[in-house]
Amino acid sequence: MIIRGKVATTIKVVLLALISAVLLTLTQSAFAKKEYVIAAFLAASIFALNFTYFSKRTVPLKFFLPGILLLAAFVITPILYTVVMSTYNYKTGNYIGKEEAVERIKALALEPDENNSAFDIVVGQFQESDALLVSDIVNDLYFISTPERRIELNKNQVELDENLVAQGVTGFMRADAGEISASKAATKRYFYNSEYFITVENLNVGAVFRQSLEYLPQQDIFRSLISDAIYRDNGNGNYVNPDDKSDFLEPGWRDPAWFTNYVRLVNDERVRDPLILVFIWTVVFATLTVLTQFAFGLLLALALNKPIRGRRIYRSILILPYAMPSVMSILIWGGMFNTEFGAVNEILGSNIAWFQDPTFARVAVILVNLWLGFPYFYLVSSGSLQAIPSELLEAAAIDGANPRQVFSKVTLPLLLQILSPLLIASFAFNFNNFNLIYLLTGGGPREQLDGEIAGSTDILISYTYQIAFGSNLQDLGLASAISVLIFFLVASISLYGVRKSKVLESFS
Amino acid sequence: MKKKFFRGFAVLATLALAAGLAVTPAQANTKIVVWADESRGPNLTKTLATKGDWVPGYTVTIKSFANFDALKDAIDKATATTGPDIVVGANDWVPTLAKNGKLAPLTLTASQRARFSASQFYDLSYKKKLYGIPVDVNNVAMIYNTKLVTSAPTSFGAMVDYYKANKTSKNLKAGLCVAGGGMSWGAHSVFSALGADAYYFNPNGTINKAKSFNPNEFGGNVKKFLMDGKKSNGFFPATDTGCKDNFLAGSVPFAIIGNWEWNDYKAKGFTMNLMPVPGTSGKSGNAFGSVSGALLTTFAASNGVEAAAKSLLVDFFGSTAGQVAYQLNEKRPPAEKGASTDATVTDGQKGFGASAAAASIPQVGAILNGPSGTSYWDSAPAYWTAVLVDGKDPVKEAKKLVAIWRANLKAATNDL
Repeated sequence: MIIRGKVATTIKVVLLALISAVLLTLTQSAFAKKEYVIAAFLAASIFALNFTYFSKRTVPLKFFLPGILLLAAFVITPILYTVVMSTYNYKTGNYIGKEEAVERIKALALEPDENNSAFDIVVGQFQESDALLVSDIVNDLYFISTPERRIELNKNQVELDENLVAQGVTGFMRADAGEISASKAATKRYFYNSEYFITVENLNVGAVFRQSLEYLPQQDIFRSLISDAIYRDNGNGNYVNPDDKSDFLEPGWRDPAWFTNYVRLVNDERVRDPLILVFIWTVVFATLTVLTQFAFGLLLALALNKPIRGRRIYRSILILPYAMPSVMSILIWGGMFNTEFGAVNEILGSNIAWFQDPTFARVAVILVNLWLGFPYFYLVSSGSLQAIPSELLEAAAIDGANPRQVFSKVTLPLLLQILSPLLIASFAFNFNNFNLIYLLTGGGPREQLDGEIAGSTDILISYTYQIAFGSNLQDLGLASAISVLIFFLVASISLYGVRKSKVLESFS
Repeated sequence: MKKKFFRGFAVLATLALAAGLAVTPAQANTKIVVWADESRGPNLTKTLATKGDWVPGYTVTIKSFANFDALKDAIDKATATTGPDIVVGANDWVPTLAKNGKLAPLTLTASQRARFSASQFYDLSYKKKLYGIPVDVNNVAMIYNTKLVTSAPTSFGAMVDYYKANKTSKNLKAGLCVAGGGMSWGAHSVFSALGADAYYFNPNGTINKAKSFNPNEFGGNVKKFLMDGKKSNGFFPATDTGCKDNFLAGSVPFAIIGNWEWNDYKAKGFTMNLMPVPGTSGKSGNAFGSVSGALLTTFAASNGVEAAAKSLLVDFFGSTAGQVAYQLNEKRPPAEKGASTDATVTDGQKGFGASAAAASIPQVGAILNGPSGTSYWDSAPAYWTAVLVDGKDPVKEAKKLVAIWRANLKAATNDL
C-alpha cells in the first residue's frame, strides 16, 4: 500500500514534529549542561532534517541523511575525540579542565588554626546580613559572626540549650534549609579575626580556617600566603613550585601535550618495548586466525559441497558454534583449558598449564578463535562455491586438469576474489578482538614480578585497555595515542588488502 | 496555503512538545543525592524510609548502581551537572578521586573524630585531608570448621600439620583457602602470617617509609609451610576459585571469608568462630582492616548543598544512631565505636570486628594502587601463581615482590 497526498504529508509532518521536539529537548538539555558541541550538533541535525524533508531539491539526501547523522555521531565523533585526547596529558591527577582545577585548588587552600577550632553554630540573619550564631563552649564565649565583623555576646543574652549551645539571641533570625540554600549562606566566609575566618562545615558546625594560597589570575600563578612560595603553570597540567619540582598543587588538569604521548610510544622503553612485542603478536594472531578459520571453513565447505548422506544435518551442526553467544563459548573453553579440572587435559591425559605458559596460552587463544570463527567461513565459502559456474570446472577438467589443479588454478582464485573483502574485514575484526583475549586469558600470562605490563596474549587493544583502565592510575592520553595508532594500522592494512585484491574494481 | 499551514503546524508542535518536555525550574536545592552500590543503595533507601529527617529541611535521594564497578565507573565520569553529593565507596578510591578533583575534604570536631579509630581515618585521607566518614568495616577473617578441627589453631604450622595428617583420610582439597576478597586483598593476612606485610607502621601510628619485609624470611616460610620440594604441598591454593564451596562442603578446614558474606556460612550451620590467620611465630597475620566510606564530593558545593551533605555525613553516616539503623539492614560490622558495641549488632558482625581489632592494618590506597602491572593488587596474586603453580623459587620471587612493594612505598611518599 502506498500512502500519498494529505495523509502522507500529515504523517511526515507529525513524525518530523515529534523527532524535532525530542531533538530540541535534548539540545536544550545539552546546552543547560554546558555540552555545547553536542547541543550544536543536535541543533544542526534538527535544521538538516527539516530542510531535507520539507525541500524538493534534496531527494537523494532524504535517503542518506539519517545514516550520515548517525555516522557522524557514533563513528566520526569518537574517532575525532580519541585523536584529540591523544594530544592531552589525560591521566589520573590530570582529569578535569584548568578552570575547574583552579577552583578546586582555591577551595582546598584552607589551613585550620593550630587548635583545629570548630564551634557549634546556627545559620541565620543578623541586621539583614547572613550571619552565624557561634558557641565557643570550651572558652565559654558566644558571638555573632557576619562576613564583615564579629559581635561579642554576653552569655546571659543568649538562649542556650541543655548542651550550652546558643540557639537564639535578640535580632538574630534562624534560617531554615530553604533559606540557607537560596541565600548560599553556607558557602560564605564569616569573620573570626583579622587572619582567620569561619566556614560552615555543616549546618551545626563551623570551623576556623585561613586562606593558604592566593590565585593571581593575570600572572596565572598561585602564591602561598604562608611561605610566599610561587606555583607556576608548568605547561604540563600542574602548578609547580619552580624551586622544588616535587612541590606541586593538586588537582592538575588536562593540558595539551601535543605529540608527547606519540613520542612516548617511541622513546619511553617501558611503553615501547612491550608495545613492539604486543604488535608482533597482534599481527600473528590476526593472520593465523584468518588463515585457520578460512582454511578449516573452506575444507568443510568443500567436503559438504558434494551430495553426501545427512548433509543437511552436518550443515546444521557446523553452524551451532556460530549460533551460540561467543561470550559463553569463550568462558566454557576457558574452563575446558583449566590445568587441574579442564576437559582438554583430561582427554589428552596431560597436565599442561595452558594459561600459565606463553606458548600454550597462545595456542589456546588460536584454537578457541578457530572454533568461534570457522562456521562463518564455512557459510560464506559454501555460498561462494555454489556461485562458481560449473562450466568453468568442467572446462578445466576437459582440458586435462586433475582435481587438485582445478581447485588451485580455478576454484581457489575465484573464491579468493569473492571472499577477499570478508578476509580483510575478518583480519581487521580480529586485530581488535578484545572480547576473546579479555575473557579467555585476560592478556596473560604476564610476569608481573618481573615488571611486565603486557601479557603474552595481549593484543594491542587489550594492552591499551590495560593502560587505560587496568589500575587505579589511568593514562587515558597514552591509551588514546595507541588507539589512534591501531586505527591507522588497521585502516592501512585493510586499504592495502583491498587495493591488492582489486575487489573494489568490479564496482567501478 | 496548505504548505504554510503544515509548516506552521510543525513548528508549533515542535515548540509545544519541547516546552512541555523541558521544564527547568529555578529554586533552592534542598535535596542531597547519595550514590551507592547494589547492596548499600537499597539498604540505605530502606533505612531512610523509616527515618528520613537526619538533616532537617533536606530530603535524601539514594541512587543505586548495578554493582561496585558500575558505581566506580559512574563516579569517575561524573560531572558537576550529573554527580552526586555523597558517594558510598571503597577507601582506596580516595587517592584517585581526590587527585582528580572529585572529592571535597571535611573537618570534624574532636568529639566527632573520637567516634572512630585513627586508622579508619587513615583509609579515607589523602595528603592529610579527610574526605569521608567511615561507614562499615571491610575485612576478612579466618573461620574454621569445628566438625574437622575441634579447637582454634595456635600457629600457621599447626594448621599445616593438621592438613598433612588428615589430607587423605578426610579427603581434604586444601588446608587454608581464600573465599573472600581474592588473592591480593583477601590473602594479605597469609602474606602477613608468613612474614610479609605490605607496609609497616611506626609506634606513633605513621607509616614506616624505610621498612619492608624480609624476603629471605618470608620466602623461607613459604618454602617450609606451603611447598613440598618444588611443588605446592596443596595446603594453600593459588586461586580462590571453589574455596567457598569446598569449605561449606567440609573439604577445607580453614577459610578466609569476607564480612559481607558471613550470613551464608551461618545459614549452613557454621558458628562464627572468627579469628586472624595465626602466624608462624605467635603473631597473627594482619588482614586489611579497611573501611567503606561515605565520601563528600565536590559536586555538593556546585549543587549548593555542601553544608547539608556534611551534616548528613556527620549526623547519619557518622553517628551511633545512624550506623545502628543502617547496619540493621546492611549487616556489616559498623565502623562507629558506639554502633559496633550496640546490642543489635550480631555475633557475625562482632566476630569480624574483634578479628580486625586483633590483627589488621589500614588499607592505604596511595601505596597499594601502583601503576598498572606493578601495584600490590597485581603483584600479590602473581607471587602465589609464580610459586605455587609455576614452581618458581619462593625466595627469589619474594625478592622481586619486595622490590615492587618498596618502589610503590617510595612513590607514595608524597601522598601520605
